[in-house]
Amino acid sequence: MGLGRYITARVAWAAVVSLIIVTITFVLLAAAPNPSIREAATQAALQGGDPAAAAERERELRGLNEPLHVRYLDFLQSVYTLDWGWSQHRSQPVTEALWEGLYYTAQYSIPWTILTVILGPIVGVYSAANMYSWKDHAATGFAFFGYAIPNFFFGIILLLIFGVWLDVIPVVYDTSVPLFSLDNVIQLIIPVFVLVTGSIGATMRVSRNESAEFQNSDFMKTAKAKGVSPLRAYAYHVMRPTLVPLSTTLVGQLLALFLGSSLLVEVVFGIPGLGRLTFDALVAQDTNLVLGATLVFTFIAVVGNLVEDLVFTILDPRISYDDR
Amino acid sequence: MSTAEPLLEVEDLTTTFSTDDGELMAVDGIDFSVDSGETVCIVGESGSGKTVATESITRIVKSPPGHVEGSVRFKGQDLLEMSEPELRDIRGYEIAHIFQNPQEAMNHCYTVGWQIMEALQIHRDVSNEEARAKAVDLLDKVGIANASSRFDDHPHEFSGGQKQRVMIAMALVGDPDLLIADEPTTALDVTVQAQILRLLDDLQEEFDMGILFVTHDLGVVAEIADRIIVMYAGKVMERGGVLDIFDHPAHPYTQQLLNCLPDIGGNTGGIPGKLPDPHDPPDGCRFAARCDHTIDACRTGQQPEEVEVNPGQKASCVYYRPAHDDSVIRDGIQNTEPDTTEVGSADD
Repeated sequence: MGLGRYITARVAWAAVVSLIIVTITFVLLAAAPNPSIREAATQAALQGGDPAAAAERERELRGLNEPLHVRYLDFLQSVYTLDWGWSQHRSQPVTEALWEGLYYTAQYSIPWTILTVILGPIVGVYSAANMYSWKDHAATGFAFFGYAIPNFFFGIILLLIFGVWLDVIPVVYDTSVPLFSLDNVIQLIIPVFVLVTGSIGATMRVSRNESAEFQNSDFMKTAKAKGVSPLRAYAYHVMRPTLVPLSTTLVGQLLALFLGSSLLVEVVFGIPGLGRLTFDALVAQDTNLVLGATLVFTFIAVVGNLVEDLVFTILDPRISYDDR
Repeated sequence: MSTAEPLLEVEDLTTTFSTDDGELMAVDGIDFSVDSGETVCIVGESGSGKTVATESITRIVKSPPGHVEGSVRFKGQDLLEMSEPELRDIRGYEIAHIFQNPQEAMNHCYTVGWQIMEALQIHRDVSNEEARAKAVDLLDKVGIANASSRFDDHPHEFSGGQKQRVMIAMALVGDPDLLIADEPTTALDVTVQAQILRLLDDLQEEFDMGILFVTHDLGVVAEIADRIIVMYAGKVMERGGVLDIFDHPAHPYTQQLLNCLPDIGGNTGGIPGKLPDPHDPPDGCRFAARCDHTIDACRTGQQPEEVEVNPGQKASCVYYRPAHDDSVIRDGIQNTEPDTTEVGSADD
């Protein structure tokens, strides 16, 4: 089988892609003026020193006077050894800051992703099985509502209803709550719900339309003629082929939401996750931390696309991986 | 035909579909039977209700919108009285189906072996090893070379004829008493078609199956049928033994169908006109609008009663009146000489 070779090739390709991204980042950084040099020069001028000499000292301190290729190799080594520098604004190593952000982001991202991946196709196939009935219309209406309403706005409305009026959830996320506790579940329910309604719409629509084609297929008739029960027929003969086209859209959808909406949701709910961390770093012009967060997001995107490619070939045996 | 109760006995089978344009009667009160070891062919042009009739037997016709009425007696039980779960036990085990388009009839995500094992394991509690052994055995039986190594291949790795062989293997998991074959060779080329027909013939002998074979290809009918049922617009026009129908077809529709065969009538242009609107079938004979012999009596009342024109051969045409009816108009119509007025029905 060429599957093993194909997987190896794909993983190697993902590594190449990540190298290209890191290189582009380096080029952009090298071309951009470094704020700390400007700052050093300004400081020197204010204190009556020589701004040019101060700038030169700062450049030397940061290794910017080295030739470009030395700096590039140095940069590469730092990136791949996770030596991502010091975050001035948070006064801690960048990797440590990112780990802290990831800890909170994962708490709502993992349940949200799992729920979307499980519920989206089920609701979609259910909707297709009852196409044009009130069940289908209800599911479709729900999907479009979640898809259309901006996540941050929906989050604010829910906070107002459940946090302020009904007072059943905390308005501000409490980081002192233990990870596995009822309080933590309660404070994460609304953010997870908001993200699920946002992501399930697209997943559900794609699986509904794809499975509509398969449930009227000849092989469903064969399954029925074999004596397969409707539940088994949907679980095995409709769901499986539906996952193939779905997997291509699902990863893209989830990544877009992860990178975009999670920031807004974190700001609204006050969760100190990766999105908020990146946002604060941008506002504070903390270059090292912004760079680190960008790398995390790009690596997640690269890995996501890699997983999508691999899942795709495993799900659809007709895809040949021999000559690629 | 035996005197004992036939394997399958269908009476007054009516299948309607609720559509936006009202009720559509795809099959309108037809009767037929199939015995063990015999091959009955349902012939007729596309849209005449052949497929719906066969899919109504085990109610695999999509419902809703489909609705099946009448009686379908199989080995003494009425299938239409059965609940869905009871019927599921029979589907694919005692009554098996094979379909027109083998390219699409299997799920492309699973290996052929998995799909054959599924057919067996949903009916009988057998271990994976036993099921696999049986599936390989069946693949071998239907003529798949290197059956045990092809077991783990996916459908797209098989040719059209091989896929139909796999479908037949899947149909045989329960040693079925009845095999319903819905145009199984239409999508295949002529040499492969001949191989599949020969395979079905061999398997019929080995398993003593009744075969209900749907086709619009009279060449295929001549090769495999014991008896023929000619359907048009949801009604039976004529039925009888294969030799009777080919030698002296009684109904004008059958005659015109046979005229379309290159080596019989040579009418390559087909029968002019088209099927009547199934939402609003005409009074009298369904075929009246396209028939060369239509008289006023053809356009009133119901589809004429089927009358025995020869032993074992019946036609539904006003030209053949029951023995007790004195108002005989004519004594039948002879093929290829439509204007002859006095001829009997059977001499050539």
